[in-house]
Order: sequence, then structure tokens, then C-alpha cells
Amino acid sequence: MIGLIVLAIFITLIILAVLIIENDDLPHSVILFMGFGLGSVILYFIFSAPDVALTEAVIGTGISGVVFLVTLLQIRSKEIKR
Amino acid sequence: MNLKKEIRVSTLFISLIVSIMTILLLPIFLDFNLASNSLGDSLLNINEIETNSANGVTSVVTYFRGFDTLGEVTILFLSIFGIGLGLDGYRDKLNIFAYENRLLKSSVDILFPLIILFGFYIIIHGHLSPGGGFQGGVIIASAFLLMFLAKGDEFSLNHKIISITEALSGAGFILIGILGVLLVDRFLGNFLPLGTIKELFSGGVIPLIYIFVGIKVSAEITALVEYFIRIKDVR
Repeated sequence: MIGLIVLAIFITLIILAVLIIENDDLPHSVILFMGFGLGSVILYFIFSAPDVALTEAVIGTGISGVVFLVTLLQIRSKEIKR
Repeated sequence: MNLKKEIRVSTLFISLIVSIMTILLLPIFLDFNLASNSLGDSLLNINEIETNSANGVTSVVTYFRGFDTLGEVTILFLSIFGIGLGLDGYRDKLNIFAYENRLLKSSVDILFPLIILFGFYIIIHGHLSPGGGFQGGVIIASAFLLMFLAKGDEFSLNHKIISITEALSGAGFILIGILGVLLVDRFLGNFLPLGTIKELFSGGVIPLIYIFVGIKVSAEITALVEYFIRIKDVR
């Protein structure tokens, strides 16, 4: 059962990675990246690495996604005001 | 023509060297047996004797490899310093990401202390449960991020207080290391009583180190978030 869950998450992560790279809309891509982080959090937890899972949840899904989004918004606002 | 020949010869020479080294090193890689007597196993065995920390990962990060953690904290400090050099040139900065939402505005006053409390819980229980200084510090910084998003220009941080907090916690980390040299045998050595395993006051010097690391990381990431979220007033 747990093997099936792991397999499903692996396939989802591969599809998400392809979508992240191939997406033209950058904010959309960042949100998919945060979803990728969430999937890898579950994987780390299943593979009994809760420390790494917590780090990934906080840094990979939280702060880095927000920093990416904020940077994109800053660039756009400068482009609009020009 | 001559140049092409030269490149080919050098490429051939390099690939010859690489293949010879691979053939020489292959037996070492093949003999390497991960299952028996690896470094992780021996560290976990020492962990039960030397530190009464319930979380083996934490005792490796802060005690056995404490000097590496000091290096990591220094790298984080230098990266934030570089970002500050690049983005701190503007005097009148504006928070353009204030999100006008009544739900967010009214719930942030309740959520902010709770998130900070959760971050300190993660930091203080680093030697008992998963987590520790880095994770808890980033959780505290995310609470400040929520404040920036909800309050906009009404909420601003005193940069002097942030830098003083960061400097004092970094100095505390190094002070504990030097006390370890003076009182015991090595840098970041344990000079406190070990206590009982799986209790809050256990693990000797490990919780102290992680509290300093957590305060330092939270100050740094909060400063990073503020640098990114404020922009120069272009009106």
C-alpha cells in the first residue's frame, strides 16, 4: 500500500517537474514549484527523514516560493510603470 | 588545422588519465561496504554515551559537526549581507504587496503570536523532536512575512534592532564554542550537565546552540524578506 502511494507521488513529481519547466506563465510555474515541494515533503516523511521534511516544508515550499513570487511582481510593477 | 590537432591531443590525454584513474579507483569503490560499520552508525552509537539528545540528527548537526554549522550560519549571513548591499540603497521604500483583504487583516493579529510561539517551540525542542534552529527561525520569519502582507506600510521593522539581535546571537554561538575550548577539550565541547534523555533540559550544550542559531536565522530571513518586499517609491 505504502509502495503504491510512493509510486503515485513519484509519477506526480515527474509530471510536475516537466510542467514547471515547460510553463510559459512564470507565476503559474512558481505555484507548481510549491506543489512540487509539498509532494517531496510527503516523500521525505515516508522515507523516515522528518528533519529534512520539515526543512523542505518551511524553506522549499514557504519562503523560496514567496521570494520568487515577490521578485516576479517587482519586475512586473517596474515594467508597468515604465 | 594545427590548433584543432592540439585540442584533440589534449582531449585524448585527459581522457587517458581519467580512464587510468577510474581503473585504479574502481576496486576501492567496489570494496566500499555501506552496511557494515558506517560513520553514521558509529556517530549514533557515540550519541547515546556522549550527549543525552533524543534526536540523533540534531546532535550530529550541532555537536559532532558544530563547526560546520558555524560555517553554514556564516554563509547565510554573507548572502544576506550581499542582498542588503544590493537592495538597501533606497531611503524611502514602499511596500507594494499590501493585500487589501479584511479576512487577512483581522486574522493576522491572532495568527502572528501563534506562529511566533510555534517557531520558538520548534527551536527549543530541536533536541527532542524533528526541527531545530534553522526551521524554527524560518517559521518566525514567515510570521513577519504575513505581517508585511497584511499591514502594508503600517508595519515596519527597526533594522538596528534586527542587526543587534543577529550580532548578539552570532557572538553567543562563538562564545559557547570558546567556552568549550576553555572548560573542556575542544571547540563547542560540552561543559553543561547532560540531564536525562527525552526531557527538555537534556543534551548539555545542544539546546543553547540551537537557540542561538534559531534567533540568528530568524533575524536574517526577516531582513531578507523585508529587503525583497519593499521597493523604491517610483511616483
